[in-house]
Amino acid sequence: MKNEYLPIKAVIEKIILESLDAKTFILRPEGKTNQILNYKPGQFMMLSLAGYGEAPFTFASSPSKDGRLQISVRRVGALTEALHKLREKDVVGVRGPYGNTFPLDKIKGKDLLFVAGGCGIAPLRPLIQHIFSARGGKDRKNYGRVEIIYGCRTPGDIFYQDEIKSWEKDVKTSVHLTVDQPDASWGGTCGVVCVLLPQIKLNPKTSLVFLCGPGVMIKFAIADILKLGFREQNIYASLERYMKCGIGKCGHCYINPAPSLYSSHTFDKVSDKKEGRCGVKGKYVCLDGPNFSYTQMKELNIES
Amino acid sequence: MQKLFITKDNLQLLIKNLNNDCDEFIAPKREHLDDIIFGDTKNDSGELLDYAGNSVISPRAFLLPQTEELFKIKSAKKSNFVPIEDTRKRIFYGVRPCDIKALGLMKKFFLDEPRPYVQGRGEFVDVFYQQRLENSIFIALACTNRCSPNSFCHIMDAGPIAQNNFDLQLIPTFQNRPARSGADGVGRDSAPKGQEKVGSIPITRGYLVEIGSKKGNIIVRKYKKLFVKAAPSDEKEIKNGLKNFAGKVKKINFKKLAKIMQQDKIGQKVWDDIGLRCVICSGCITLCPTCSCFSIADRLSGDKGIRLRHCDGCPFAGFTKMAGGNTPFPMHKDHIRRFFEHKLNIDVQRYGRPSCVGCSRCIQTCPGNISIHKFIDSVERIAESV
Repeated sequence: MKNEYLPIKAVIEKIILESLDAKTFILRPEGKTNQILNYKPGQFMMLSLAGYGEAPFTFASSPSKDGRLQISVRRVGALTEALHKLREKDVVGVRGPYGNTFPLDKIKGKDLLFVAGGCGIAPLRPLIQHIFSARGGKDRKNYGRVEIIYGCRTPGDIFYQDEIKSWEKDVKTSVHLTVDQPDASWGGTCGVVCVLLPQIKLNPKTSLVFLCGPGVMIKFAIADILKLGFREQNIYASLERYMKCGIGKCGHCYINPAPSLYSSHTFDKVSDKKEGRCGVKGKYVCLDGPNFSYTQMKELNIES
Repeated sequence: MQKLFITKDNLQLLIKNLNNDCDEFIAPKREHLDDIIFGDTKNDSGELLDYAGNSVISPRAFLLPQTEELFKIKSAKKSNFVPIEDTRKRIFYGVRPCDIKALGLMKKFFLDEPRPYVQGRGEFVDVFYQQRLENSIFIALACTNRCSPNSFCHIMDAGPIAQNNFDLQLIPTFQNRPARSGADGVGRDSAPKGQEKVGSIPITRGYLVEIGSKKGNIIVRKYKKLFVKAAPSDEKEIKNGLKNFAGKVKKINFKKLAKIMQQDKIGQKVWDDIGLRCVICSGCITLCPTCSCFSIADRLSGDKGIRLRHCDGCPFAGFTKMAGGNTPFPMHKDHIRRFFEHKLNIDVQRYGRPSCVGCSRCIQTCPGNISIHKFIDSVERIAESV
């Protein structure tokens, strides 16, 4: 019987500084055929750092056949602090993949809108890469227009700057950047991601939306996206929760769809849905998520 | 299945023999001001053959310990983890039916839960729990009296007699009749009922034995000399004895109850009140036989160390708090509410039955007098008024 909790070794092959407090780690797990390498865009893994425990990270790159994987990590807690101190050739533990994937079949032939805030670009990047570079870029024609809205605190916090430039070169793609606190050299938009939404030139009735970022961003961005006429079932958010196992056992990430459980909610209580909601089962973010459609989020009564 | 009977003396013999068949004999014993707790009595023979009430801590603590070593960290630098296996053979003796039912629920959660939507990954099995469970034998001891006025196992369908999930079950039979002298059962059925009772304290004559599994069957076959066939009157006697176990039992429709919770018809007042009473002592989640939440922590000394799993729980403010400081449940009252939602709503959705077994440990330990029993009762009152 497989011990699902056992981390396998992964060597840090390369560390890329993304911003003042974020780094991308390129990891090579032990064994070229390891199951963790069979992940799909949207899934996550558990990273072990002996002495600091484990934490979940969504894969930050599209699956490649070279036996490597990437995660982008912002320094926010004890484990990430320690992870940032590691150097190339150091070893960490990994296990996975866990969670569901983005709806890869549903996006074929569709126009796509990505909305990311801060390090929220990382979980969306595998999907963006999947669209641009699957089969050496041959698959790009299978998808429609792509618009990416990406908001950061300062210009220095923008991840994957070179890659973003390459995305912009695609004729059917536009990237919109915004920052909260501009510096002298910043000539672009200022403000939250929502200020860029009016610039989107996609048919809201048929396009799909993918969001990832801080809870408040997801909440307000979805509200504005809905106002533009996008369909609830076409909006997907990658959510984050505290997790300790990734396999539905530790109990931390469970979402119970009781309407008043989220006392801090500012949205209206969607009272018309009350009867419909009572058939909805609670969900584990680690097993049923981390990617949920807005329809599901409404059923679960969560905003982020 | 043919039921068997074992006398008190033979049970003593059986226990002595079973002590040699295992690495740890987990049985109820008295400790610290006469509290009953489960502990290893293999070497001290301190086990109680029979006891009143229930243990302070449920035997869950042996399968999902408060702190459990999962991995040896041979080298933190090299990220070298080696699983710590627990292959000790344990025999649990004298486990109450409520805790037996809880074991069944935990087994389902940790081992059997199908996850069809996790593509290509099959089911996630908790191997640490599985290993302990598979190396364990459970001998249940049925109740004859309610262990406390708060207990409500009869409402939760968990007592006084276990229905399954045990390997062997002992059901005490009373009446002060001459001990049976063999398979013929001479003298057992001759005395009229109740005539030889000494005061109001019944004296255990022996135990009806139920076999619940292959493991149980192996024990019975191995020590078949200690058992005799049970007489039909034994069962009748037990049935009669339990007639007044709990007085009139009000049937509760738990599916309806769960629906009320899902529709949020409990009212904020109730949750506010529970939130006010909860002081986050974590007694409920520590003693509950069906609480399963855990956290992971590493302890290092130099480059070597261990990875621990320790019990965690919803009442704690940090239970859902993420590294950035974000938490989906900022309100204190929502923390303890999760305990109720889990036992009475979520698990009804998932398995079709609640995961409270009515052992009343959480009620007895709560300094704020929060009672899940009263809660169940009051929810029904709301249901009646809706």
